[in-house]
Amino acid sequence: MSAHDREETGAHEELMELAAKQAALGEVRGAPAADPVNEPMIRHWLAAMGDANPAYLANGVAPPAMAQVWTMQGLGPRQPSPVDEVMTALNEAGFTGVVATNCDHTYHRPLRVGERVTAATRFSDLKGPKSTALGEGYFATWTVTWYSEDDPVAEMLFRVLKFRPKERKKPYPLKPAINQDTAFFWEGVKQGELRIQRCGDCGELRHPPGPLCPTCRSANRDHVVASGLGTLYSFVVHHHPPVPGRETPFVVAVVELPEGVRIVGNIVDCPVEDVGIGMELRVTYSSMDDELTLPLWAPREP
Amino acid sequence: MRSEAAIAGIGATEFSKESGRSELRLAAEAVLAALDDAGLTPSDVDGMVTYTQDTNQEIAVAREVGIGDLTFFSRVHYGGGAACGTVMHAAMAVATGAARTVVCYRAFNERSGRRFGQPDARVGGEPSSQGLEMSWHVPYGLMTPAAWVAMFARRYMHVSGATSEDFGRVAVAMRRHAATNPAAWFHGRPITLEEHQASRWIAEPLHLLDCCQESDGGVALVVTTAERARDLRRSPAVIAAAAQGSGTGQMMMTSYYRDDMAGLPEMSVVGTRLWEMSGLSPADIQTAILYDHFTPFVLNQLEELGFCGRGEAKDYVKDGGIELGGRLPVNPHGGQLGEAYIHGMNGIAEAVRQIRGTSVNQVGGVENVLVTAGTGVPTSGLVLTRG
Amino acid sequence: MRTLTEGQVEIGSVLPELSIDLTPTLIVSTALATMDFTPVHHDVEGARAQGSKDIFLNILTTMGLVERYVTDWIGPEAVIKRINVKLGVPAYAGDRLTFTGAVVDCEEGEYTVEVRGKVSLGDHATATVAFRLPAPGDGTAAP
Repeated sequence: MSAHDREETGAHEELMELAAKQAALGEVRGAPAADPVNEPMIRHWLAAMGDANPAYLANGVAPPAMAQVWTMQGLGPRQPSPVDEVMTALNEAGFTGVVATNCDHTYHRPLRVGERVTAATRFSDLKGPKSTALGEGYFATWTVTWYSEDDPVAEMLFRVLKFRPKERKKPYPLKPAINQDTAFFWEGVKQGELRIQRCGDCGELRHPPGPLCPTCRSANRDHVVASGLGTLYSFVVHHHPPVPGRETPFVVAVVELPEGVRIVGNIVDCPVEDVGIGMELRVTYSSMDDELTLPLWAPREP
Repeated sequence: MRSEAAIAGIGATEFSKESGRSELRLAAEAVLAALDDAGLTPSDVDGMVTYTQDTNQEIAVAREVGIGDLTFFSRVHYGGGAACGTVMHAAMAVATGAARTVVCYRAFNERSGRRFGQPDARVGGEPSSQGLEMSWHVPYGLMTPAAWVAMFARRYMHVSGATSEDFGRVAVAMRRHAATNPAAWFHGRPITLEEHQASRWIAEPLHLLDCCQESDGGVALVVTTAERARDLRRSPAVIAAAAQGSGTGQMMMTSYYRDDMAGLPEMSVVGTRLWEMSGLSPADIQTAILYDHFTPFVLNQLEELGFCGRGEAKDYVKDGGIELGGRLPVNPHGGQLGEAYIHGMNGIAEAVRQIRGTSVNQVGGVENVLVTAGTGVPTSGLVLTRG
Repeated sequence: MRTLTEGQVEIGSVLPELSIDLTPTLIVSTALATMDFTPVHHDVEGARAQGSKDIFLNILTTMGLVERYVTDWIGPEAVIKRINVKLGVPAYAGDRLTFTGAVVDCEEGEYTVEVRGKVSLGDHATATVAFRLPAPGDGTAAP
């Protein structure tokens, strides 16, 4: 287990412990609603929803789906809830994204005008980590019960996904131009293959590639996948001026492949002062952004 | 073409880091100065040649200075490799009768405007043949002229045993020459080998002082028939030979995929042709203008042009070998390392002065001068003689 | 408005489609009517700053609209017992929310309707709504 994995496991355990602690608090009651169930708020709600049902105002009852509205904080001070600490811990662990996934209402009886409700929140559980389309995350579930006096009138189960937003790499500024003659190479590196053009007729290998075989003029071409080994032929250590998308100093080398062609690439995983002509290299692939992968070269014996 | 055309006039603006003027104005000033030097007027001009990289169209320069009908205009490609090529094209036009008087020019604000030394991510972006060629290098951050050249230099050091100090001797020589040239940016500012070694890294193995300066300025040359040139104000610099050169497997500045990367095959193509056409040999050359945007390629050129054998340039440049008074004074004006980087055109003007005997750093007994253009790129060269 | 009776509702009954223009006014007025002052429901710049393309419907309103969709059909006297909503893509201002639904179950007088609320990005809400109908002739079964 790597140090990173241990750290992740530790964070997971802390989250689950906290979740269990908050769940053990059971139902935590908030303050009573600021206003009792009232006609103006019902009328306003019905108008906004475009709900023409006359029965609510006629019978002096609130639409069931309004249950949560009565205890909304509005612009008033936030009321603490057992969910808060779990959300804070998830944010601190990097699961900063949030999206609600479920909202289930159960109505025991209609709420009548004049009743004043109180919400009680119970933290249910935390499940995860799960990999989702939005990123890795935890599902947090809690329930709210609305009481009139001690009479439970409605319940809500609410579930959110707290996720670690997928990192989107900044577009790498140094993009190659690609055309029909070179696309196979760049598709290859994306798949972890170093492809060298081969003449379909005489078998001559060629890099950089081009439309014709310079030896036999054939336009019939395919490619071989190189062994991924190479020998450093020449190199530069770039210091100045600054290059977009790069931190200086960096090393660029001409690498000679055992297949008999040369290719240019960066030398990585090697202190600059240890780079030298003749050093044995192996290819490695680096994803520069969502589109571009580059073949780079590392010392063969690390 | 041999000896049929001559350079009859040279002109230049001042060389600076900030001209304060448009590139078109620099071109116009240089062209007018060159015509004046030749004792000609704009109405005498019927041909114009510049670089594909020049931003001043021939017709724009013609409008500014009052040149009328043109029967010949041409552009030469591949950066500084175009320098002597402009004169070659002009000489061909004159020799064939396509034009009678051709002006070659190069003008830019290469320091205060667009700097070639700065990375430009766009060079790898276009699916042109050049963009595709660059695309094997730019994504790895290999995108400045210094770095492109450094890749060759490292290999050359490995193969020849040359050291950074050998490159430094070139820089020291150029700065010594510039120190006594009032037109040079580094006039009065010679350097020592120690200063070269202590200067910061640009792209190892190149130090700052291995790199030419970036400059603003313009240079123009007037080419006409040798016969007519003899009747003009100045003594002519006859174009004994002119050639362009590109090698097998050539790329713009990254020909890393051929031979041993320790030579400049395209310069060998030029040299072979120049000696053939002129009937001369290295021993007949009293001073050479060797393109020096970066020091290492001066060593390669001495070898490719036959001044010394393979791997011997490091010895050739020792003990002041390429300095004034040495076995072959190179770039008496200070070169692009010392005078200014005008893409090689200022070197051709110096060659003309050496032929005329009017240089501030005049070499004695000059009969023939060799001039080369951009190195590491498809290039060109000239042999000028007294006539 | 008349309330449907047991004989008029059966498994497979299809609810008429309801399509609602999600005007900014609707998004904002429903947010305020549900006492939800979170900026993403009324402040376009605030919503964009959080990575949303515009203001969007709040969950309390989704619950209210699902309820309305079902009661519009069954009538004022029916009693809604449960609304379970699985939330999907956001319903942004400028989009259109279209509800479709069908009765899928009936057990001991409790009917279950499946409701889908679609927007241009996909399913905004997938819901089941449980309700009871007044017994025929039972005028007292007020909601």
